[in-house]
Amino acid sequence: MTNHNHDHDHAHDERRTMTIQWVKTVILIGLGLYFVYNIISGNLANYINERFAWLSYVAAALFLLLGIYNLIHILTAHGGAHEHDHAHDHYDHEHATLTFPVLAIVAIPLVLGTLIPSRPLGAEAIGGTLSTTAVTGANVATFTVSPEQRNILDWLRTFNSIGDYRELNGQPANVIGFVYSEPAFDPETFMAARFTVSCCVADASAIGLPVRWPGSLDLPQGEWVRVQGTMQVGEFRGDQLPILQATRVEVVDQPAQPYLYP
Amino acid sequence: MVSMDREVRRQLWRLVFTFAGLALLAILLGALLSSPDLGVTLGIFTTRFLGIFIEAVPFLLLGTVVSGLIDAFVRAEDIARIMPRNPAAATGMGAFLGFAFPVCECGVVPVVRRLYTKGLPMSVGVTFLLAAPVVNPIVLASTFVAFGVGPVLIGRFVITIVVAIAVGLVFALAARPQDVLRPNSVLVPVMGGSGDDDGSTPTADQALGLRAMPGAVTVAAGTPRPSLLAGLRAALSTAGDEFFEMGRYLIIGSMLAAGMQTLVSQDVLLSLGSGPVVSVIVMQILAFVLSVCSTVDSFLALAFAGTFTTGSILAFLTFGPMVDIKSTLMFLGVFKRRVVLYLILLPMLMTMLIGIWINLNLSL
Repeated sequence: MTNHNHDHDHAHDERRTMTIQWVKTVILIGLGLYFVYNIISGNLANYINERFAWLSYVAAALFLLLGIYNLIHILTAHGGAHEHDHAHDHYDHEHATLTFPVLAIVAIPLVLGTLIPSRPLGAEAIGGTLSTTAVTGANVATFTVSPEQRNILDWLRTFNSIGDYRELNGQPANVIGFVYSEPAFDPETFMAARFTVSCCVADASAIGLPVRWPGSLDLPQGEWVRVQGTMQVGEFRGDQLPILQATRVEVVDQPAQPYLYP
Repeated sequence: MVSMDREVRRQLWRLVFTFAGLALLAILLGALLSSPDLGVTLGIFTTRFLGIFIEAVPFLLLGTVVSGLIDAFVRAEDIARIMPRNPAAATGMGAFLGFAFPVCECGVVPVVRRLYTKGLPMSVGVTFLLAAPVVNPIVLASTFVAFGVGPVLIGRFVITIVVAIAVGLVFALAARPQDVLRPNSVLVPVMGGSGDDDGSTPTADQALGLRAMPGAVTVAAGTPRPSLLAGLRAALSTAGDEFFEMGRYLIIGSMLAAGMQTLVSQDVLLSLGSGPVVSVIVMQILAFVLSVCSTVDSFLALAFAGTFTTGSILAFLTFGPMVDIKSTLMFLGVFKRRVVLYLILLPMLMTMLIGIWINLNLSL
């Protein structure tokens, strides 16, 4: 650290440096614990594709390593207060010494993560219209999946790859999704929707399967439901599409993995 | 003189940063407060923001730890020694040197400055400067996680290498380092972490910088290698500080991306993002202003990938790591003003043209 103003109150500087070091340590350890909490509570599934969960393990370990290193550093540097600055005596990274605004910015994820209850993206997050076509193409596995085993993404992929929707007529379906409806929908129709996430929620896109169910109006927007019934081609939003004719709609808990992974 | 200059830059930088931060905060707050259901909107914003942060931060941490280790253990002499003597071969190698020494755009400038004092040819330094922030294993991994193997991953690497070598060759015509470096920049000791920098090295560096003789390496006093334990401690210390320095760009960038996805209507985004020319320019401006570290910018790009053209995403992912606000400020500390202008304009124009060309000619 370059001290440009040597006439500065030295004791004041020391105290400020010490405070910054402590805040820094608390933020690092706090972020480490936040990652550990996300992993243990399963909240991680609200944010990223589980395929990359191991990256969060790495982050937790590195945060705790840096935090604990800093803690030891502060505790052992008490005697020689000057000595502890030595290690970051860099000119090369243009490190301004850490300031409180920087610390405050880095604390934002910690504050938001603890204060705001963790929730997956739901019906309210659907900005535009919801897609009834899956972006990614069908893979071979989709066809070996029996109809009752298909999730909403599998069904849309099947729609994509099939020439004539009527081939699907009469196939049984059993899917879980959240309720999504628009005022323009037929009163007996809603969509069973999911978000797909390939990397993290930044690339989330909403997909949905139209469902015909007499009690559609009674279903609250965003409620998680299991829908059972059979496929039958019909008209939805002006298009001919396979529509799930529900025989049973039951409210269920939000699944542990709220997103589908393409 | 030197320290005052640095102080002025620092102040300027702080000013820019504060303004950008306040403006962003005001926009976000205004948009949040004007939304019909504050609680719901804030919840969605938070989920999107934390999603980007959680996916990106492991790469930022890895980057800072590696950067700390390089800072502690690798000396510029080591890099200078392995460079081929043939300038053309060295320029080609400069583009891939990041695989051996993964540095992001903030770590690369001081390394290059130091290398020039070791007699590195002009073109090699410029190529390394522009390519290393992208062409390295950490960025390869993070781009793969975000986009998988596809046009974005391949395009990002190919475009970066092509542009970096092209600009390097342009600079080869501008001849020797002393023509482009600020006279006093070589006075500043670079590789930090060892105490004797303040003593004899600067004068040695100055002499080298003024003469810039190839092969002058042997004259260099050389920084003693630290012991393993001291090196590791210095590395962890650097990594901790650098996490905060870099983390703030990631956090502000993620907030902007999440805010945009949550608060700006799809139609507006599509109208901005579907124009083959406009989209590229918008993403380049964003890349410059946001200054997000190259190890994590893929995750921000991901938020735009649904609404913006592929060419503009590639422009964001190639131009941003070469030039942004923070690297410009660092360039200004090392290179002469005219050179900085070229270092900004050449990559900007090349990535822009390539991005627009991709939008017009390829359907990716």
